[in-house]
Amino acid sequence: MSDLHQDIKQLIIDALGLEDISTHDIGNDQTLFGEGLGLDSVDALELGLAIQKRYGIKIDADAKDTRNHFTSVDSLAAFVSARQVA
Amino acid sequence: MIKFNIAQWRAWAPGLMSVEEWRQWSHEPVIPAPTDAAPDVSFLPAMQRRRLSRLARMAFSVGWPLAEGLERLPLVFVSRHGETPRTFDILSDLANDEPLSPTQFSLSVHNAVIGLWSILRGETSEMTALACAGDGLEHGVVEAASLLEEGAPAVLLVITEEQPPAAYAPWIDDVPFPYALGLLLTPGDEWQLSLTTRERVETNSDRSQWPHALNLLRALSTQQSALQHPWKNRLWNWQHNR
Repeated sequence: MSDLHQDIKQLIIDALGLEDISTHDIGNDQTLFGEGLGLDSVDALELGLAIQKRYGIKIDADAKDTRNHFTSVDSLAAFVSARQVA
Repeated sequence: MIKFNIAQWRAWAPGLMSVEEWRQWSHEPVIPAPTDAAPDVSFLPAMQRRRLSRLARMAFSVGWPLAEGLERLPLVFVSRHGETPRTFDILSDLANDEPLSPTQFSLSVHNAVIGLWSILRGETSEMTALACAGDGLEHGVVEAASLLEEGAPAVLLVITEEQPPAAYAPWIDDVPFPYALGLLLTPGDEWQLSLTTRERVETNSDRSQWPHALNLLRALSTQQSALQHPWKNRLWNWQHNR
């Protein structure tokens, strides 16, 4: 697991108050919203805010592919890496 | 004058939860040591309780056992100051030009607790969130009595206050410590509550020593049969008939 994956998992736990979960409980390709981890729409907004703050990147909430970036830790890590380089 | 029964009650404050703990406090009331401790709400699934503030946890911890086994139970929620820690966090973020937390924002409104109550219990009965002056207890009882009058077999009344952040200290002087009181009110004539109007009093010198909800709790714990709660030009008279 990359440092970025680990970092994003910890961010999810801290930002969303998942007190009973550790980073080992979140799979890299596990679905975050709805099924899988079971996060909801308020979590999506909160996580979007946390990612923007943590990595200093902008997220366009209306962009079509934003939803895809938030599918899993893998997709979030790829998104953050791409944005940080850009 | 309104009449009602107090079928059951529950209360929580730091270090105070059981009937016996409240009985001891009622005989020798003191301000509990400040703490961040919140009541146990492990009866809620972890994913559902994670966003609950201490205020919400206090309300749930006293209300949940009283609602046990009752379906279609209207709720009257009373808090004068509400979610002051959330409000303060949001205002601090605004002052620092930081983006606002959607969770903090959505749960800072005064009816957030009754909304969560409705969702988590699947309860669709009437629910009211009141913010009154220092006599919110009495206004809540009046609201609950009107629901009983309409035919509700029981009404849950929850009065709760959170310790405000220190920045509010110059303006909020009626929350000695965080507390919640839950009352299950039913039709009956064991208790009477009446209101008399008096000359407007501007000083705070003739307030009751403790917030009204805690004063009532003392009366319930010590079998005291009469209470007078003055607030500004209003004088509330409580009478227990046995």
